[in-house]
Amino acid sequence: MKAETSRFGAIEVEESSIIKMPRGPIGFEQYTSFVLVEHRPDTDFSWLQSTEESSLAFVVVDPSKFYADYEVEVSDADAEKLNLKSASDASVLVVVTVSSGEEITANLAAPVVINMKEMLGMQVILQDNRYPIKHPLVAIVEKCATKTEEITAKAA
Amino acid sequence: MLVLARKVGQSIVINDNVEVLVIEVRGDQVRLGIEAPRTIPVHRKELLEQIRAQNVNAAGDSNPEVVAKALNDLAFD
Repeated sequence: MKAETSRFGAIEVEESSIIKMPRGPIGFEQYTSFVLVEHRPDTDFSWLQSTEESSLAFVVVDPSKFYADYEVEVSDADAEKLNLKSASDASVLVVVTVSSGEEITANLAAPVVINMKEMLGMQVILQDNRYPIKHPLVAIVEKCATKTEEITAKAA
Repeated sequence: MLVLARKVGQSIVINDNVEVLVIEVRGDQVRLGIEAPRTIPVHRKELLEQIRAQNVNAAGDSNPEVVAKALNDLAFD
């Protein structure tokens, strides 16, 4: 099928790649059908694009790329809605916000959990209050920049 | 809205499987104990509202160039 998107134009969507959300993202509960669109091959980001509303898309990223110890405990209620029987079937993504000051944050309090076997997804709210809604990703950029400088300095 | 007065140690029962117990009242703070089946999600309302607001920000498409540039520039190890 074809899906209209405001950001990527008309895109071809395989039925098998559609992620159904029994309850849409928080605040957007009425949108229940999404597809993952790669941002650019050389970045770690993707877009969770609605197939129903062309302008609705969220930047998402695999949290393990920047937060090795991030742990998601899916509640029984959510696991049931996702028909999730084994953790190995689950894929976890976090929603990224780029604010006008170009500050980039990731929402670690409410990750999107996808049962890849059944292509069922949901934004879950973690009970663990150690994870912030606005986890800055900018610090990582700085770290990378410093590392690059170090490497450059060594090379020189 | 149904309004009920309860004392410390008293509770209310919702739908015969959810119980909300008043554990302690101190100043303007009330501690509640909630007993509900694990399949019923219980969240602080302000957390839900913060997540909703964050999602609205995240979904904003007023500045696609800024977003694209920021993402292109951000690389992890």
